[in-house]
Amino acid sequence: MMEKAIRFIKENKGFSILLALAVLILLIALLAPVLAWQDPTYSDMGSAFQAPGPGHLFGTDRLGRDVLSRVIYGTRISVPAALILVLAILVIGTVLGIVAGYFGGWVDTVIMRIADMMISFPGMVLAIAVAGIMGASIQNAIIALVVVSWTKYARLARSLVLKIRHEDYVYAAVTTGSKVIYILRQYMLPNVLPTLVITATTDIGAMMLELAGLSFLGFGAQPPIPEWGLMLNEGRQYITAYPWLILFPGLAIAIVVSIFNLLGDSLRDILDPRS
Amino acid sequence: MKKKSYLSLAIAALIAVVLSVTLLAGCGGGASKSNETLKFGCQNYSDSLDPSAMTNAAWACTRYGVGECLFKFKEDGSVVENLCDKYEVNDAKTEYKIHIRDGVKFSDGSDLTADIAVKSIKRMYTNEKDKKYTSTPSTILPEESIKKLEADGNGNIILNVDAATYLDVPAALANPFFVIINPDTTKDYAKNPIGTGPYAVESLTEGSSVSLIRNENYWNGNVPYAKLQISFMDDSSTKAMALKNGDANVVENITTATDLSEIKGDTSKYNVSEATSIRTGFAYMNQKGALKDADLRKAIIMAMDNDTLCNKTVGGMYSPGYGVLPDSLDFGTKDLQNLPKYDVEGAKKVLDDAGIKDKDGDGYREAKDGSKIELRYITYSSRNLQEFAEACTASMEKIGIKATVKATDADTEWNEMVAGNYDLCDSNWMTAQTGDPYGFLENWYGKSEANYCAYNNDQYNKVYEELKTEKDTAARKEKITQLQQYLVDDNAVLVHGYYKSNMCSQASVQNANINTFDYYWITNEIAPK
Repeated sequence: MMEKAIRFIKENKGFSILLALAVLILLIALLAPVLAWQDPTYSDMGSAFQAPGPGHLFGTDRLGRDVLSRVIYGTRISVPAALILVLAILVIGTVLGIVAGYFGGWVDTVIMRIADMMISFPGMVLAIAVAGIMGASIQNAIIALVVVSWTKYARLARSLVLKIRHEDYVYAAVTTGSKVIYILRQYMLPNVLPTLVITATTDIGAMMLELAGLSFLGFGAQPPIPEWGLMLNEGRQYITAYPWLILFPGLAIAIVVSIFNLLGDSLRDILDPRS
Repeated sequence: MKKKSYLSLAIAALIAVVLSVTLLAGCGGGASKSNETLKFGCQNYSDSLDPSAMTNAAWACTRYGVGECLFKFKEDGSVVENLCDKYEVNDAKTEYKIHIRDGVKFSDGSDLTADIAVKSIKRMYTNEKDKKYTSTPSTILPEESIKKLEADGNGNIILNVDAATYLDVPAALANPFFVIINPDTTKDYAKNPIGTGPYAVESLTEGSSVSLIRNENYWNGNVPYAKLQISFMDDSSTKAMALKNGDANVVENITTATDLSEIKGDTSKYNVSEATSIRTGFAYMNQKGALKDADLRKAIIMAMDNDTLCNKTVGGMYSPGYGVLPDSLDFGTKDLQNLPKYDVEGAKKVLDDAGIKDKDGDGYREAKDGSKIELRYITYSSRNLQEFAEACTASMEKIGIKATVKATDADTEWNEMVAGNYDLCDSNWMTAQTGDPYGFLENWYGKSEANYCAYNNDQYNKVYEELKTEKDTAARKEKITQLQQYLVDDNAVLVHGYYKSNMCSQASVQNANINTFDYYWITNEIAPK
């Protein structure tokens, strides 16, 4: 077992390193209370706008809050939110796509026309509208992005199901009296899952960016939550005088998004037989 | 071959020159057109220009140079004739005869007459009574104190007021509530009120912009710009950047201290006009909810470090204070006693002693009856109010009081405030709209419909009612001081400090000045240099 793992790591160095970095990010999120030396919402207004240095490695913001602690705690918001979002759109999109592809007919028409309608709007604009109607919060931002993002997975799952829907083994299963739910689980799902998982992994970074974007625009996380997009917005007006207010949350977003994007690419390289 | 390379060089040089010229023209930010169009960036306080709709709408009308009042405030606070050219008043100051200036025309070319001016003023009271909108002209000039308001047929308005009431009628009529809009020709008050100002509305896009054109019939001199383009910019940094890149020639109230100091530092490119304003930044404390508890209010006020909030958090855009009236006004703010002192431990003790403790161990205190305290703090991004709200929420957190900031736009905040859907509501208001704070202090008068915080103190009400008829200046000051003292003693208001207004313009524009009474942003004095 150990040998297998070592061999896998040797054969897939890039993926292994990226996976280790992703795990490290998750650990940072998990251990935020230990790693951050200050409560991210603790303010010492007399110490506002302190430049990075001893005591506050990333400086302090306008309320005298430690930027490093907020960036660390931001991992707890941004990463789980992106993961939940991707998981939600993966599940919803996959289920609807498989159902549409397998049953065809009016079921397919209804699901896919709804998907077409969602796609016809610019995603971010629709997300802003949904978040605006529901009220600004990180939960509503996730819901808004789920509403506009599931279609990609549904269309993908549907097309993959259509490829095998008329294979002999599927007809054989139907003829032998297999239940629909069994066919969907045993034949359809395994065929679509690898592609969708790869897509989902590569989407984590993009979703993180979209969530940060909504928060930046005021439709996501609300003060005083230490969310990176919100921190960027808060620091924006001080960009010339106190650049560290946007530098560090910006770097955090860039690094984490890059890691998850590269991880998705590496996973695709490993799982995609065509490569 | 050589010929060809010379040709190539020549073409390249030509392209370079063309590109450079184009780029330099772009850097100019449209300065070459500034003689034609003035681009003004400002906060959007109202999507309507109907003075009846809400206070901010009336102000927008005068601020955008659309409408004017019979009188106007000068920089020093004195009141002078504007659409009227003279007035007579009896010794008792109860009977006014106001003569409409000859030759004043509305932007549609119709003449301003005394009859139209009376109709315009009466419309405000009619709409106030109908409660169709929220403007309250009676807070400035109470309708019940008006005994007679009519045109005499000779170009005069006859206005008789109650002898018992203290009224500075010219100052009241200078208030934007009494901006003169032609009721006979105005079809759409919200989007195109017909006024006498230097500019007339061409189109209004809600939440985005207002396009105006020169009022060719303007009575008071030349209007320098053919067009005025007002773009709404709710964010202070956006205003600063718009000014820098030429998207705006003039912007009002840059409130980020860093941006403002940068602009002030470059006198070759920008002009900055600043005024010690008569505005107070404060949060209404709604006593219909958890804040009916006096101990809770007291602790919250004690937890606020106004010096740091004003000088550091908002970078000196306010000067700290605790009285509801700015100390620049001579209404006794400096004489107030028992002012709260910043004392976090003291605030905690007040809460502990009052039985407001964290009983369920969630880190936040519960009310005396055990119910959860979750204060709703509404604010909007104007004049540093959002920064104040966030900083105050953080300060409350330190004493175990949970509060959530709900940032919204000015219209929504106003409506939520009127509906009482808040615990704390941040505002930055003019305190002496007529040179006297009587109208402002009505916000805490128990019997007023403009009291949106449910504060009710019999002693306050009594002194306020006395103020209504008090005509002696010294006695008025004494009573106003007393009213302020009640608010301090009752911990009725969370005061942040007193605001400093500014107007910033490109060097290519002159006379873009902020008035202490900031009813006037766009005037025909603003002109290309």
